Amino acid sequence: MIQEGIVRHGIGRLVSLIPTLLMLITIAFFLIRVAPGGPFDSEKPLPPEIRANLDAKYHLDEPLVQQYFRYLGQILVLDFGPSYQYKDWTVNELIARGFPVSLTIGGLAMVLAFVFGTSIGIAAALRQNSAVDYGAMGFAMLGISIPNFVIAPALILLFAVYAGWLPAGGWDWSVQRMILPVVTLALPVIAYIARLTRGSMIEVLHSNYIRTARAKGLPMSQIIRRHALKPALLPVISYMGPATAGLITGSVIIERIYSIPGLGSYFVTGALNRDYTLVMGVVIFYGVVIILLNFIVDLLYAWLNPRIRYDEAS
Amino acid sequence: MAALRIVLSGTEMHTYRFALKLPRQPVLFLLFAISLPLCADEAIRRGLGPEPDSLHIHRAQGLAAVNLLRDLREGLTTYDAAGELAPGVAESWEVLDDGKRYRFTLREDAAWSNGEPLLAGDFVRALHQAVNPADVAATAGLLAPIVNADEIIAGEQPPEALGVEATAERTLEINLKRPTPWFAEILAHPVAYPLHETEGAEGQNVAQLAVNGAYRLADWTPNAVIRLEKNPHFHAADQVNAEVVEYFPIEQPASELSRYRAGELHITETIPAGRFEWLSDNLPDDLRIHPYLGSFWLNINLRHAELGRSADLRRALALAINRDILTRVVIGAGEQPAWSVVPPGIDGYQPAMMPEAAMSQPEREALAKALFARSGAAASGPLRLQLRYNTSGVHRRTAVAVAAMWKQVLGVDTELFNEEWKVFVNNRRLGVVTEVFRGGWIADYADPGSFLDLFRSGSEMNFTFIASERFDELMRASDIATGTERQALLAQAEAVLLEEMPAIPLYYYVSRHLVNPDVRGYVDNVRDVHLSRYLSLEQP
Repeated sequence: MIQEGIVRHGIGRLVSLIPTLLMLITIAFFLIRVAPGGPFDSEKPLPPEIRANLDAKYHLDEPLVQQYFRYLGQILVLDFGPSYQYKDWTVNELIARGFPVSLTIGGLAMVLAFVFGTSIGIAAALRQNSAVDYGAMGFAMLGISIPNFVIAPALILLFAVYAGWLPAGGWDWSVQRMILPVVTLALPVIAYIARLTRGSMIEVLHSNYIRTARAKGLPMSQIIRRHALKPALLPVISYMGPATAGLITGSVIIERIYSIPGLGSYFVTGALNRDYTLVMGVVIFYGVVIILLNFIVDLLYAWLNPRIRYDEAS
Repeated sequence: MAALRIVLSGTEMHTYRFALKLPRQPVLFLLFAISLPLCADEAIRRGLGPEPDSLHIHRAQGLAAVNLLRDLREGLTTYDAAGELAPGVAESWEVLDDGKRYRFTLREDAAWSNGEPLLAGDFVRALHQAVNPADVAATAGLLAPIVNADEIIAGEQPPEALGVEATAERTLEINLKRPTPWFAEILAHPVAYPLHETEGAEGQNVAQLAVNGAYRLADWTPNAVIRLEKNPHFHAADQVNAEVVEYFPIEQPASELSRYRAGELHITETIPAGRFEWLSDNLPDDLRIHPYLGSFWLNINLRHAELGRSADLRRALALAINRDILTRVVIGAGEQPAWSVVPPGIDGYQPAMMPEAAMSQPEREALAKALFARSGAAASGPLRLQLRYNTSGVHRRTAVAVAAMWKQVLGVDTELFNEEWKVFVNNRRLGVVTEVFRGGWIADYADPGSFLDLFRSGSEMNFTFIASERFDELMRASDIATGTERQALLAQAEAVLLEEMPAIPLYYYVSRHLVNPDVRGYVDNVRDVHLSRYLSLEQP
């Protein structure tokens, strides 16, 4: 019964993905075209003949609406077209090469953030208003308020330039090049998750069923593991959906500072270069990822929270 | 440890691009982590600046791509270690018909990286393709001196009408519209490189193309690394020292500096703005600042009512700027104050200087005030100007300083506009909202014409919209003159330009690099061209 409900709900959500995406594509398509300048504006203005040829080659000479429908047709067959700026690559190739990198860094950062964030949060909640609590929350406050463009150069200076233990940047799939970017990316998320976990854990610990469990004489460790953990993680889970989407599609700042070939910098270089196809490609890709992750969060919710069930009644 | 280092420092490092590899043993990984920045290998590692836009000779536009292509390919001419023009694929050439015809003799040992011989036909085919309007090269304008080039680009003639002919297997003749003294240098630019006969189809993988340079492409991970390995078929392969050259696209100068300091780069593309003093104190042996064939100036839109009306006003604005403070304090990376549009350093050319260059700054300011009063620009209240620049820390600081100097000396109120690059070039081209705006040029070829041509009326690069009869006439006269007569005419034209003052010269650019003292064969030069084939690493 429950399973059937989830399947039904899943299909419904997947179908609702289509109008959302269509709206995203439409808005992004026309917004980037409104920006002044075009992909072929450069230091030397191209002679009009060359410009006309280029426009024709990329169908930029057609009416905008016709270009829009041409683009929609391309997307149906998952062809994001050639990049205007990086002329030796298609947008599909750039995403295919950039996403595994962003996914690795972002995924590792999320795992790190989840493990440390929840641990710190629980520890703080259990010793509310103690030194541990203040220490953990002080750290969390720092982690949230110091921007990563400050942390990253500081870490590079410390671990790469002075100590020489880790490389200062670059990418070759080796672990030592991942350490600094993953840690930098994870720090604010650890801090945020720790605060979320602490808050909800304190709330759960004050609820009646926990009091009942304690009255029954259950040891604290079991109460936490069996009864408190799942409901306390609910707000963390709902935060993690969009946060993971953000992390695994790449952070511009982290990628720039550590010279990482992920997806994040394409949002910026694509927009600045008026690389229409690249911008559209990464925006649509990001859209799909965020919708899928929200969907997964919904399913996790049902598993974690006995009050939510995707059955006929709800 | 030794064995471990060999495994880690070899060429294996960049090969697993698609598979995620994590070391299985934590101890090994720790050693790996610690040893990496220290490990020595024979690769020369260079910063590249931005990711190259293309490695196809006809699509490449940016400096990063051009620098890479100079390592991967070679034209009829090339550059030597000191950045001077040198024979490339052509071992010699004759200039015939008073400079209107060039006959190149290709070297016998010129070959493609697949071992096939490189023949004159490979140049003819490539040049036909470069001007073919169906898929024209972005930089095809550089080929304009060749007979019929413009007509072909405009679609009035077929590509085969280009004045280029293979008269024998290894003899190439190029016919020019008129004598073009700098033409031999155009042939060192990627747009004039040869193409292998299999190249040209859409969708080809650049990595597999046959090249003819000192290196061939071994690996390209966008935004991470471009690895080149020595091309054994290159005609001077026995003189190429480094087996492997790695280029790292790093857009942030600060990140590039960190990686240089961590020992991961041998040569940087630039230095971060504002770090010049720190670097000269801490890395004096690594810092290389050298004059560069480029000038920074402020363009003035002569279509603007007030600015276009009075040369006195424009000269007053030019003289009110204290270039010493600007270069020493505001920008401060070794730039020299500029009193001409054409920078010094071009053989045989003496730039025409603003006569006020010899004055002291107080004298200049007094003259500026007098000229300003005479122009009547402030007759009806204080003059208000807009100063536009494209996003860059240096441009912003320059603009703020200039505005302050104008206010102080002339009482002019300046409004600053920071514009994103694409918006800036668009506004500049249209010339509707622009008043005073950031200008400047870096020479495509070492010739004063590269700078002065920008101000010809009708030039698509003439963003000041100056249309000076005297200037145009001198430029036309220089087109048909040669040698010292031509240089003298160009200097006269520049003098006219400085009188009319459509552009206020501020400073001459410098090239800025950090070069590891272990690198041999790196020679500072005004073109800032440093082919990897001349470089080597002295093993400590």
